[in-house]
Amino acid sequence: MNDLGSKRYWRSLDALAGDDRVRSFLEREFPEGASELPDGVTRRQMLGLLGASISLAGVTACRRPVEEIVPYISAPESVVPGQARRYATTLPAGLGALGLVVRSDEGRPTKIEGNELHPSSAGATSAWAQAELLELYDPDRSTSVRFGQETKGWDAFVVAWGEMAAEHAADGGAGLAVLAEPFSSPTLARLRHAFEERYPRARWATWQPVSDENVHRGIETATGTVRLPVYRFDRARVVLALDSDFLLTESEAVRHAADFAASRRVRATGDEMSRLYAVEGVLSLTGANADHRLSLKTSRIGTFVAALAGRLAAKGLDLTPGLAGAPPASVSERWLDEVAADLFSHKGQGLVVAGRRQPPAVHAATLALNAALGNVGATVSYRDPVDAALPDARDLAALVPELRSGGVTTLVVLGGNPAYDAPADLDFATAVAEVRRVVRLGAHDDETSRPDGWHIPEAHFLESWSDARAADGTPSVVQPLILPLFGGKSRVDLLGLLATGQDIASYDRVRETWQGMLPAGAFERAWFDVLHDGLVRDGALPTTAPAIRAAAWGDLASDPPAEGIEVAFVASPAMLDGRYANNAWLQELPDALTKITWDNAALMSPATAARVGVTRQELVRVSHGEREITLPAWIVPGMADETVAVALGYGRTKAGRVGNGVGVDAYRLRGRDALDLLRGAAVALVGPAPEIAGTQDHGSMEGRPLVREATLEHFREHPEFAKHVVEVPVSRSMWTDKTYTVSPQWGMSIDLTACTGCNACVVACQAENNVPVVGRDQVLRGREMHWLRIDRYFSGDAESGVEVVFQPMPCMHCENAPCEQVCPVSATVHDEEGLNVMVYNRCIGTRYCSNNCPYKVRRFNFFHYTKDTPESLKMAQNPEVTVRSRGVMEKCTYCTQRIEAGKLAAKLADRPLADGDVVPACAQACPTRAITFGDIRDPASVVAQRKAEPRDYTLLEDLLTKPRTSYLAKLRNPNPALLDAEHPA
Amino acid sequence: MAQLFPKQANYLALILAVAGPLGGTLAIAGVWYYGSPKYLDVGYRPHQPVPYSHALHVGELGLDCRYCHATVETSSTATVPPTQTCMNCHRLVLKDSPLLAPIRDSVALGRPMRWIRVHNLPDYVYFNHAVHVRAGVGCASCHGKIHEMPEVMQVEPLSMSWCLDCHRNPTPHLRPREAITDMDWWPPANQAEVAAAIVRDKKLAPPSDCSGCHR
Repeated sequence: MNDLGSKRYWRSLDALAGDDRVRSFLEREFPEGASELPDGVTRRQMLGLLGASISLAGVTACRRPVEEIVPYISAPESVVPGQARRYATTLPAGLGALGLVVRSDEGRPTKIEGNELHPSSAGATSAWAQAELLELYDPDRSTSVRFGQETKGWDAFVVAWGEMAAEHAADGGAGLAVLAEPFSSPTLARLRHAFEERYPRARWATWQPVSDENVHRGIETATGTVRLPVYRFDRARVVLALDSDFLLTESEAVRHAADFAASRRVRATGDEMSRLYAVEGVLSLTGANADHRLSLKTSRIGTFVAALAGRLAAKGLDLTPGLAGAPPASVSERWLDEVAADLFSHKGQGLVVAGRRQPPAVHAATLALNAALGNVGATVSYRDPVDAALPDARDLAALVPELRSGGVTTLVVLGGNPAYDAPADLDFATAVAEVRRVVRLGAHDDETSRPDGWHIPEAHFLESWSDARAADGTPSVVQPLILPLFGGKSRVDLLGLLATGQDIASYDRVRETWQGMLPAGAFERAWFDVLHDGLVRDGALPTTAPAIRAAAWGDLASDPPAEGIEVAFVASPAMLDGRYANNAWLQELPDALTKITWDNAALMSPATAARVGVTRQELVRVSHGEREITLPAWIVPGMADETVAVALGYGRTKAGRVGNGVGVDAYRLRGRDALDLLRGAAVALVGPAPEIAGTQDHGSMEGRPLVREATLEHFREHPEFAKHVVEVPVSRSMWTDKTYTVSPQWGMSIDLTACTGCNACVVACQAENNVPVVGRDQVLRGREMHWLRIDRYFSGDAESGVEVVFQPMPCMHCENAPCEQVCPVSATVHDEEGLNVMVYNRCIGTRYCSNNCPYKVRRFNFFHYTKDTPESLKMAQNPEVTVRSRGVMEKCTYCTQRIEAGKLAAKLADRPLADGDVVPACAQACPTRAITFGDIRDPASVVAQRKAEPRDYTLLEDLLTKPRTSYLAKLRNPNPALLDAEHPA
Repeated sequence: MAQLFPKQANYLALILAVAGPLGGTLAIAGVWYYGSPKYLDVGYRPHQPVPYSHALHVGELGLDCRYCHATVETSSTATVPPTQTCMNCHRLVLKDSPLLAPIRDSVALGRPMRWIRVHNLPDYVYFNHAVHVRAGVGCASCHGKIHEMPEVMQVEPLSMSWCLDCHRNPTPHLRPREAITDMDWWPPANQAEVAAAIVRDKKLAPPSDCSGCHR
């Protein structure tokens, strides 16, 4: 295991099998049709067009076009043109909130970053938070208050609501119903309370297709009341994740990933590292980062927990007796024993977490386990759900018959898209059509919009005033950076009108709420601080360690044995539940594990695929009773057998120009009885599928030792294991080495132990550097433009168990750069500070540089990808970065604009540049702080210290390219007692 | 058989031998000269919506540049002032002048002024005023004797080689901070020493790398 030479890494099953198509794709630098236009313009027509445009260009090029300067009439206070400003705000996310700091250039938000003060963010973000910028400028958002097809104003709605309100006030709101998404917001909670006082008989249903409802119900079973968990992964030495993707798709993932990485930071050989065991049916990012991973059908997790509890009880843990069930057939006794022993020996320092797909019984049992192990109060604690509207699928189920029977005469849909994502057996879309009046607040004219109701465009969170509580209860303020672009109204606006009958500015409503939360005497000062910080400092709510009831062990053991194939519904790491379907950045974001873009697929293990008859990419029909969907199959090593995973959020029909018809809608398969897991599904082969735009074989590096890893034990014995893996030729390079004399000298270090592969950096880079989206067809041709990609390597045996490594790949900024040596026009050159600079205006597009780049990090603009960018999306672009045109090569610049900004700020303040003044977008967004950047000449800088660590290595050092980007080799912390069990000699 | 070529054709080779190189040289020289920013851009003097005279405001009345271009020391752009800045004085001075009608309309109707940009760098150039002012490059070094211009005219080519000339040898253009906006400043006899002191004190190292200005 420790011998690097014996471990074989592969990117895809096709590559592992030596598939010819992968070979031919790899061998051509610019695959398939790189020089052909996509829409059938012939070469002759092209030459004609060229000739014409040259002669026209000659006429217009005599002088640049006249440009105007349009200053303010009266300049707003404190706005300095050319200087970006930053404001704190908050992204409400389910029952949590992510604190953000958003950059605004001349009044338009251009980049979202994390708020370092915020407990859920600590300065980092997720890919979703980064991509919210594109949501703001989405040109397909609905633009006006409408009644039916008729455009009305908000004022007209206020009048119309007055009439509706009068009608409902008569009977206490008996015919009135609100369908809302869950929230955790002091202002919304206050307004909801006022609404319920005004209309005591009105119904309120809270629905969100992907939620933590199972977690809440489990806690309720175990303790008697609904509480919210607050995890502290940084305090845990041993973590057992049961079907839980706490690093990516579960709630509060940014904080959890940061804490998890903090518990695994090994700098010197004496440092400790936590251990993660994962048991799961669907290969998740968390499983991919685990030290030990066990594939187990999702429905067998409960049995596993019961068996684990039995082992722990046998060790003398105070657990309800009678649980010593046999483990699931596929789990070895030894594995279970060792996990139990590890958890037992780390009492108060361990943590068992279950994922939201697991039934309440598993969550209840998990809580009881944690309590018995002394982990409750140490690594996990619980708080009361203050100001929260908890998701409850039963509410929706109870509401729908009322819609059909006419019991509800006015339905207010407060955000969300229930007609698309409600359980299929409820048939919400037809039910809602029978309601007399529908008032719908929604950002898009989408599946839920009814052609004859009121439609109110919903304001984006960057356009509206509101508030939210973070997972630990910290009150955070949502403050707008821009007036609503499309005249949108927020949930606070609409609910405020409903609750009070008055149309009051949402700012006043939020302020009114906070007047009750901040010290009365010094409110103005405290409010100012809140607006500045974005939150109340030290505002976390108190947590408790609740007592466990005996009922916690409920029906865990009575779980029926699962037969046949089961379908697990997965929140898409890109689309979430479908809300991001019209977001091109997220559509083109390669999935962390499958590397699929612009699609979802039925993920299954090689054995399951063989059973269904799938060999490569075929369409399969997944059905259960009357419900069925047909989608492409995708073989993923590491999936549990007899398990099919389908990502939710695809197959939208009215998402907008980007999201319509992308992928397949898995909600059609998802009924009330199977919100998380559909058991006894039938999967049948249909036929060949259209090619899926996956990037997993793009830019492969041919089995050279690019990722280097070892166990913690091996590292302690051989700290420098990652160096000297390849023989570096003693012969000198044929090029004269450039000497670098000035400070700073820029360099980057990427810690592969910390990197979880979450993709936040990829979207952050795209947002910061105006990286274009190219579309599915171009991705298929290997023309995706991401400056930073994350290579995912599998190792091990595809059938039995795989390990996964993630490796972010920005430009290496080689000191001896192969790209520079072949550029005929000096369009890529080195600067004094060691940057490999790309000069767009010199580039003539020979693409020699990309051919010669051993790291495959250069990207070519085959077309003018930004030419047809809609007007509103142009506002998202960073004014500090050139928008590239056709025929130009581009690549990671180490965020040269941020370097310049940092240097300029230091100069203007008459101080030297300090470490940390320049943070590239990728490093800034990274939840685990895997990426460090700075001056490698300054021995005190963080990056220099990282590079001095024994694990430091560079890629392909035998080519003598001297990369400035180096890596810290990956460390795993497997249980020594289990090593030989998993790898029999 | 008639001759295919007339007798004059004998001169063809000679004509070509002379005209070819000559024409080629002229063509290159023509593009070199007529296509350069020096020819195309220097002297550009568009008419502005209001004939604002720097000669009057700066030369005669003695307004400091920074009264209007207020952000020149702090931001990348020097900022053309908001209409309100004009009205600070013209609420009282020449308040009925027909020439100032667009200014009054701008305030009254909430319609921003649309000035014509004179000094226009390409979009891929990221120039920063503040850092140049800090270094001690005077306004006049790039914009010329603004205080003598009734209508602003571009006097320098603003080409890349022109930028680099100064970046490689800033000595003739560096002046003390207090003289930044002085239109009549003239290098003193010991300019070389003065400039060297400025370079040393402020640790100036003007970049000549692409990444200094292009991103």
